[in-house]
Amino acid sequence: MLRMPEFSYVHPKTAQEAVDLMFSTENAHYVAGGTDLLPNIKNGLHEPSLLIGLGGLPKPTVTLDGGVISIDGGMKLSALASNSLVKASAPSLAEACSLIAGPQIRNMGTIAGNVMLDTRCIYFNQTEFWREALGFCLKKSGEWCHVINSPKSCVATQSSDTVPVLMAKNASLVFLGRDGERRMNIRDLFQFKGEDHLKLEKGELLVRIEVPVSAEGTESCYRKVRPRGSIDFPQLGVAIVAQIAETKIEKLVICVGAISPTPKMIKGLDAFCGETLSDEVIEKIAAIAKKQCRPQGAVAGGEKWRREMVAVEVEVGLAGLR
Amino acid sequence: MKRLINLDINGEVRSVAMKDHHTLLEVLRYELSLTGSKQGCDKGDCGACTVLIDGDPILACCSLAAANEGKKIETIEGMGNASGPSKVQRAFDVSGALQCGFCQPGTILSAEALLRDNESPSDSEIREALAGNLCRCTGYTKIIDAVKLAASGMSQHSGMLLGKAAEGFDVIGAPARKADAIEKATGEALYTDDIVLPRMLHGKILRSPHAHANIVSIDTSKALALKGVHAVMIGEELPKAYCVIPWTPDETALCTDKVRYIGDGVAAVAAVDEDTANKALKLIEVVYEVLEPVIELDSALDEGAPLVHNTDWKGRDRTSNLCKRVALDFGDVDAGYEQADARVDVQYFFEGSTHAAIEPHCAIAKWSPDQRLTLWSATQVPHYVHRAVADVLGIPQGDVRVIQPTLGGAFGGKSEPFDLEFCAAILSKKSGRPVKILYTREEVFYAHRGRHPMDMKMTLAAKSDGSLTAVESNIMIDGGAYHSFGMITAYYSGQLLTGPIDFPAYRFESKRVYTNKPSCGPKRGHGSVQPRFAFECGLDELAEKIGIDPIEIRRKNAMKSGQRTVNDQLVPSTGIIECLESVERQSDWKNRWGKMPHGKGLGVACSMYISGTAYPVYPNEMPQSAVILRGDRSGRITIFSGCSDIGQGSDGMLSAIISEETGVPLESITVVSSDTDLTPVDLGAYSSRITYMAGIAAQEAGRRLRARIVAAVAEAWEIPIERVGVTQGMVFDIQDGSKTATSQEAMQLAEAKSGTLGETGQYWTRKVGGKYRGGTIGASPAYSTTAHVAQVDVNPRTGVVKVEKVWAAHDCGRAINPIMVEGQIEGSVYMGWAEAILEEHTFHSSGLHKGPSLLDYRLPTSVETPEIIASIIETIDPGGPYGAKEAGEGPLHPIIPAIANAVFDAVGIRLRRTPFSPDRVLSALAAKLEGSDNA
Repeated sequence: MLRMPEFSYVHPKTAQEAVDLMFSTENAHYVAGGTDLLPNIKNGLHEPSLLIGLGGLPKPTVTLDGGVISIDGGMKLSALASNSLVKASAPSLAEACSLIAGPQIRNMGTIAGNVMLDTRCIYFNQTEFWREALGFCLKKSGEWCHVINSPKSCVATQSSDTVPVLMAKNASLVFLGRDGERRMNIRDLFQFKGEDHLKLEKGELLVRIEVPVSAEGTESCYRKVRPRGSIDFPQLGVAIVAQIAETKIEKLVICVGAISPTPKMIKGLDAFCGETLSDEVIEKIAAIAKKQCRPQGAVAGGEKWRREMVAVEVEVGLAGLR
Repeated sequence: MKRLINLDINGEVRSVAMKDHHTLLEVLRYELSLTGSKQGCDKGDCGACTVLIDGDPILACCSLAAANEGKKIETIEGMGNASGPSKVQRAFDVSGALQCGFCQPGTILSAEALLRDNESPSDSEIREALAGNLCRCTGYTKIIDAVKLAASGMSQHSGMLLGKAAEGFDVIGAPARKADAIEKATGEALYTDDIVLPRMLHGKILRSPHAHANIVSIDTSKALALKGVHAVMIGEELPKAYCVIPWTPDETALCTDKVRYIGDGVAAVAAVDEDTANKALKLIEVVYEVLEPVIELDSALDEGAPLVHNTDWKGRDRTSNLCKRVALDFGDVDAGYEQADARVDVQYFFEGSTHAAIEPHCAIAKWSPDQRLTLWSATQVPHYVHRAVADVLGIPQGDVRVIQPTLGGAFGGKSEPFDLEFCAAILSKKSGRPVKILYTREEVFYAHRGRHPMDMKMTLAAKSDGSLTAVESNIMIDGGAYHSFGMITAYYSGQLLTGPIDFPAYRFESKRVYTNKPSCGPKRGHGSVQPRFAFECGLDELAEKIGIDPIEIRRKNAMKSGQRTVNDQLVPSTGIIECLESVERQSDWKNRWGKMPHGKGLGVACSMYISGTAYPVYPNEMPQSAVILRGDRSGRITIFSGCSDIGQGSDGMLSAIISEETGVPLESITVVSSDTDLTPVDLGAYSSRITYMAGIAAQEAGRRLRARIVAAVAEAWEIPIERVGVTQGMVFDIQDGSKTATSQEAMQLAEAKSGTLGETGQYWTRKVGGKYRGGTIGASPAYSTTAHVAQVDVNPRTGVVKVEKVWAAHDCGRAINPIMVEGQIEGSVYMGWAEAILEEHTFHSSGLHKGPSLLDYRLPTSVETPEIIASIIETIDPGGPYGAKEAGEGPLHPIIPAIANAVFDAVGIRLRRTPFSPDRVLSALAAKLEGSDNA
């Protein structure tokens, strides 16, 4: 069996305790579901001295207050997928949660874990033996990116299914740090740096996600492209939020995930406000999205095909919102 | 430092000493002996380790044991047991959902959780709920049936028989439960890694990070000095080369002079635990002189290409990487071309794929005080392992005992000796303690021996009425680093193409070459799945050119029972016409082929496969298979057989035959199989040989025992032998129905009359095959035939090929147990469909496997696996036991070309390379728009 190196494990009772523990030792990691971290440790991608388990924190909840759905970071993905509040007020988030990995992983993984999911790469998420045989990459132990064949940057891919939805919905994240809580718009979280794609301070723990409830008449969807009907990470994820009044677009947001270290907010969509969501308009929007997305080869499926799928999924997604 | 935690498992609080970094799976399996939770993939990709936490299915391999304190843990052991299995476990049993059984504890737990929340789930809800539990055997069909049955509450069943036998029989032809089903369903069955011996050490093998390199030096001193390390070995200690084919030994237990693929073994250690063994591996210093590798099939035979092997098995210098060339010529191909009105020259490429049985390879070695070696191994060929281990270790065969525990799937991937068996033996010898070696999933990918990539050029020629006049084939085969069954592969790629479609002239040339990649070998449908893809697609191209229906061209050229193939193989029986008609009717082919809306299509293909390779891999005059029966006054019969039940149900097949012949009910029959000390030789579970060959052996032994029982009863009743009838559980006087005795009473009479009840039966190699050099390879005493129709939906925007439905008709001769036959058909269709659509075993230019994990190498889940409708066609074979033939490999072949042909019907493109991934489909569609034929 592939084994993990030795480390210590603690499971504090409060979030603040967890954050304080993070500063108690070098090389500690938070662990919630563990479905991403543990395989990565088995692969030799981390050598933690301490894992800080978040399972002992107070029971997480979802609440609706003042037009904001407030989701505790520890909410399980399967629970969110079937949560009546989320299904009613943010159905595309419930949909994204239901499409993550397979049933067991959804029962283990948490929404915070999915948002904070490390970037992935076909050259990175492999065993130490394999990576050494290839030559270590710049995300771990090396200086070379095998995807772009260059030492310039790491293009490991943001692979969360919930992130594009939360970005499209303009969600806020509440982090707990040593100096208390900090609120951040999720659109400000990411940087184009596959080896370190989250703009965070040391030890910050994602404790809550706040999703504004969309205005009346808003439709949303999440389209996931993956080889199998289960288990797989996205090869592409398209989140759309559209406010449509009598067939006319009032507001349109599209966020595309799983193409690079950062999800892509499609620009220039305001130009379509006031237009009818006709086939021609949909085609134009799809073309714009495709033009702006350059899927990196860190994910299987072929860059060209995945780019083509940006247009297809935007089209199918938009057509479904009419 | 270990610490004590309390876990609430199945309602009991268990205190266990463990370390923080231990996963729940490690603690369950290795600290608490709850081995029903299986380890398949190492890292959360397969679902075999599924347990319930507070009622929800989770993956125990990705959950820390310490994180589960205070939670309610349920494992398979808590669901039921042999005395009282749960309704889901019973349903899996009676539905035939348990083949190898390795993934089933996890699947059953997911099903249990589903049914607690949802008493009557729909098909799609079941598929979704099980979508994280990979099964490699069943194609999910019978699993879904089982969950539905469990939901209905009707899964209770007593007795082994589930339905009626074929006419004239008591047991043969009846759907029957498997004797080991409940053991598997309850997690009680012991697979190799479930076995723990006192003082057992754990071995690990150091593997080469280079595809091609000379070994300059190996220094193991630091590893040996590490506390907890008990033995270290390197290749020089076991230099004798071996190969499953005795003529071509080109492989050693560990590399001696150079490494030939990334993952080749160079040293091994045994230590008190896996962690220490892993640490020790890092202390071994190997100095390599890196050589240029040979990776691409296209250039492997180029002049000046580096040599994978410097010498051949006779020590002669090699001048190229050619491993085996076969060229044979039958009839007048050139005349056939001249007679033809149309011909197609086609080229197809079949990508490599691997077996990916969910159980990783595992072996345990132990030496007894009298210096005999016992080797428990997850193998499907205990006899060949037995021979090879004795030979390489240089000890008498009589001093080696090989035991195959319950096996968690094989599909050809465990059909030769592997390094871990030799290494465990030597490490155990050196340390004086039992040694277990369990492959990681990554190592399973490197061990491989899977489907060979083949680059195939074929020409098919026919007259305008569709009758074929000639076929020619030219195939390049990528063999990887070692020979494996390579010469057989090269032969099979040509020899097995000559039915069930008959043609009068044929020539082929096949070349298997060495490359610096994991060795290819026999995967379900060894050597012939790839050319079948090219041939059956080529046949459709030819039909299109001539302008006739694809089913018609097949019917026109269909072989008949008792006919000889163009390469002089006798086909005693074939149900090809019946198979074609079955799928034609069921798919409503006549009304739908060529008439469906754009994007939807139907495709057909057929195939023929051996029912056992006629000859053993090492020539000898001894029986290929044998059965020993032991009966006594208790009324129970024990069958001793060397057959490997790898999940296909060979134990049940033997029991059915003995029950049929002796009248002793299945409930009173025990099978002891695949233990080389206890059981007579059988060559193993490969080439679809067991039902035919071991079936005949069992038939003979059963008839002998029956004769003794009948003789004793006749004497006691003072009636002629002919008047004694035998039926289930009793004997009776045919003329006087009131005169009966139980089987037990009859056996007591027999034991009293003729002494201890023991009988043997065997299968002697039948001398079949063509009369030319190589004519015995591809020869079989019988051949199965199959036809499939696949229905596809091709999305022209995404390129995704969705196979909606597959009708699979398979002629297995007599179906001894139809549930098992259906399971083999469904599993075959699933596995072939996966090769067509998803799976590829491919490499970077350095020779590194592109993704040796079950996340990157994608086995289909229950969600996308198509609906499979299996039909059994029974053409009673004159030579098989009760007319039986094989069912395990033949039904895989047609699905790949059937899908490709259906894609042509749907969108007019020919897919010439597997897998039919969406990007390839889109490229082909684009090329079609531009007017070129390029896929």
